[in-house]
Amino acid sequence: MNDKTTGVTGDADERPRRPMSEERFEALLARALEVEVPEAQARQPAAPRPQLRRSALPRWAGLAAGVILVVGVVLMQLRPPVGTGNLPSDVIAHIRHEPAALVRTTEAVSPEEVDRVMLAAGVRLAPTGATMTYVKLCPFRGEMVAHFVIQGAAGPVTVLLLPNEEVPSPMPVDEDGIQGTIAPLPDGGSIAIVGEPGESIAEIQNRVADAVRWRL
Amino acid sequence: MSEIERRQEFDALTRRLRPELYRYAFWLGRDRQLAEDVVQEALLRAWRAWGELREADAAKSWLISIVRREHARTFERKRFETVDLAELEDRLPGPGDDPEVAEMRRAIFALEEQYREPLVLQVLLGYKAREIAELLEMTSGAVLTRLHRARAQLRDALGVQSPDEIASETSREERT
Repeated sequence: MNDKTTGVTGDADERPRRPMSEERFEALLARALEVEVPEAQARQPAAPRPQLRRSALPRWAGLAAGVILVVGVVLMQLRPPVGTGNLPSDVIAHIRHEPAALVRTTEAVSPEEVDRVMLAAGVRLAPTGATMTYVKLCPFRGEMVAHFVIQGAAGPVTVLLLPNEEVPSPMPVDEDGIQGTIAPLPDGGSIAIVGEPGESIAEIQNRVADAVRWRL
Repeated sequence: MSEIERRQEFDALTRRLRPELYRYAFWLGRDRQLAEDVVQEALLRAWRAWGELREADAAKSWLISIVRREHARTFERKRFETVDLAELEDRLPGPGDDPEVAEMRRAIFALEEQYREPLVLQVLLGYKAREIAELLEMTSGAVLTRLHRARAQLRDALGVQSPDEIASETSREERT
């Protein structure tokens, strides 16, 4: 990291220096370094679920669509079971973990930021016509995924693009006052999309799903 | 060892070390959310490579080095070129009810990474200068110099006397 902060500054030299024993200084230093650990960190299962990531796909997979299909099928066969995790619950828990994303706002994130996150998440996202007000690369069930929010008619609509979560058919999400769906994407993986009750989730889902392509 | 046993062993180890890993990541990046992300990703990588670890005693250093690499990767990915100190201070954890701790945290926050990291490794994680030198790929002498300078800068920031100053003041008082 190129850190341009240049050490400690301030008016320390102008005030009289008070005595502090070495023992007290060291004890204070140790206490200061022991920052509080978020409860979520302490509670999280230590071993992430082992999953195949998109980056594990061989490079030559991009050469032909037929080969991609075969590789995808093979990966699906080899993929370890998801385990005890319930996908809709994990989606809700993840969204609850980032309340800043659920703010109703009209302030759009910059296209550069969107591009940066999508590139890191292995996504090509064509314009959707919607205003994106939040975008972040997030750890989700052991992989880094694109998490973004667009403003719907009823409020913020959250979208997670999940390259390695396969669902055979649309799966409803309805927990904790949040409703939506997790649906398969044409190129594999799935899209989780949730919003306030009464939101036109299906319409937004179709629009976003059409705009998503995975990078190989 | 079965898959379940491997997972249980990994879980037990990382559950014990996770607070230290989080704090280390926090003081590296000075950002709570970033620290959570870095630890999460580091543990994922560690789990994938768990079978390669031959010595259980080396697990802590192994995990620390993975967190360190993951932190560097994350910063590279985010292309952070500069850090605004005022903005960073907003990310400080709550000072609790001790203003001295809060003041010390601000001072640690303001240290350059080259001083902050060895200090965290020594005080928080209990590493000796030789071990820090191995991890940071530098000489033990250089580590000791940085540790000394880190403490000197903290004392300056807090406006407290160094051990030398205290000793010379004491001897002056004894003479008079």
